[in-house]
Amino acid sequence: MSLSKLWDTTLLMLQGSGMTIILFFIAITVSIPLGFLFTLMLKSRVKPVKWLAEGYIYIFRGTPLLLQLVFFCFGLPMLPIIGEYLVMDRFAAACLAFILNYAAYFAEIFRGGMLAIDKGQYEAAQVLGLSRWQTLTRIIMPQMFRVALPAVSNESITLIKDTALLHAVSVSELLHVAYTVVNRDFTTVPLIIAGVIYLLMTLLLTLLFKALERKFKFE
Amino acid sequence: MAIIEVNNLKKVFGQLEVLKSISFNVNPSEVVAVIGPSGSGKSTMLRSLVHLEEANGGSIKIGDGYLVKDGVFSSGQQIKAITARMGMVFQHFNLFPHLTVKDNLELSPKLVKKMSAAEVSRMSLELLDKVGLADKANVYPSSLSGGQKQRVAIARALMMNPEILLFDEPTSALDPELTGEVLQVMKRLAEEQMTMIVVTHEMGFAREVADRVLFMADGEIIESGTPEQLFGNPRHERTRAFLTRVLA
Repeated sequence: MSLSKLWDTTLLMLQGSGMTIILFFIAITVSIPLGFLFTLMLKSRVKPVKWLAEGYIYIFRGTPLLLQLVFFCFGLPMLPIIGEYLVMDRFAAACLAFILNYAAYFAEIFRGGMLAIDKGQYEAAQVLGLSRWQTLTRIIMPQMFRVALPAVSNESITLIKDTALLHAVSVSELLHVAYTVVNRDFTTVPLIIAGVIYLLMTLLLTLLFKALERKFKFE
Repeated sequence: MAIIEVNNLKKVFGQLEVLKSISFNVNPSEVVAVIGPSGSGKSTMLRSLVHLEEANGGSIKIGDGYLVKDGVFSSGQQIKAITARMGMVFQHFNLFPHLTVKDNLELSPKLVKKMSAAEVSRMSLELLDKVGLADKANVYPSSLSGGQKQRVAIARALMMNPEILLFDEPTSALDPELTGEVLQVMKRLAEEQMTMIVVTHEMGFAREVADRVLFMADGEIIESGTPEQLFGNPRHERTRAFLTRVLA
């Protein structure tokens, strides 16, 4: 492969990774707050609310993301009666699948983070007169995020790699572009380039989360 | 007139009667030490006063407001107003680890009392100075010793200007050589006429600082009196047995 061709291929793939990055940001920014909402529902004293969150998490953790992705893209529109209202752009459908799937994982990660918080923290807050909302936002959430940070880091790296599943529903992302060039030029070089780009993205995330962990060490 | 009136206070956990009809009063500026074997209900009694435990019967009156009257609790708003008159210091400090010492002190006055930042800041530095930790204002609790943590916890409780301070075994989690600095701060508060109830295993402190000592066992107040009476001439066999054991 000539140098200029290599350069063209790389540029093409960097364009493809644009889609990967957009999906990553949409999925992470929506699924983290949504996941936390489910964590709160899991802790609700209203049983049906708790059951709803448990059922949701069971379904979205218990089935493959690939299946969910295909279902949201192609399955939803085929549902009787309501199907015609559920036709989405494939990228939008994919975003929805990623958001709902990752929210289920984040809900469990945050639940774990909350388990790590001593009940004395709630008691001190109560005796100092803080409201439930103030206790949650000022005392519990900051400590929970600190505990959950390594797991959130892990999950976000998985998310970067999972974006490659978009290939299955023919949305043009990094791996999809790589495959296209592989088939067109009969060379495996694009796969190596793709690997390097994924590594660069995960490296950036790793460094970012390391910095966050340092910032929130509370020492 | 008593500032705390407790009448026939009852608490059960499942089958276990933790408090069997407890009654006592505390007068303003009085320091009451509560002693007794573990599992006697001392902590539960103390925690009931600030609504960390919900009593199953009886009455708690703070000043002229009932927290609970004959087993019927006041409204949430009233309970908040009543418990706001008391501060609590815990065995395990319960400082907020994600906040600096200064922020630990200032969070509640800012959020709950809506006091101005300048006023809160002046107050927190003054109180930190009072407990001898002015130089630790900007560090996180993780870098403090147990004794220092507990002194910060006392300062934090004082930030809310409580009329009554409750101590739940404040020195039990500390290394022996660190209890002195905490007891010293408590002694000073007593001298400043703070009303205090102290659940403690520190017999020396109870004897020296308390105006009155309650001895609890099996969910009951077995005996109460001045430290001289209770330590010098206990009337009940159980008190005698307990004191012989802990003072041995």
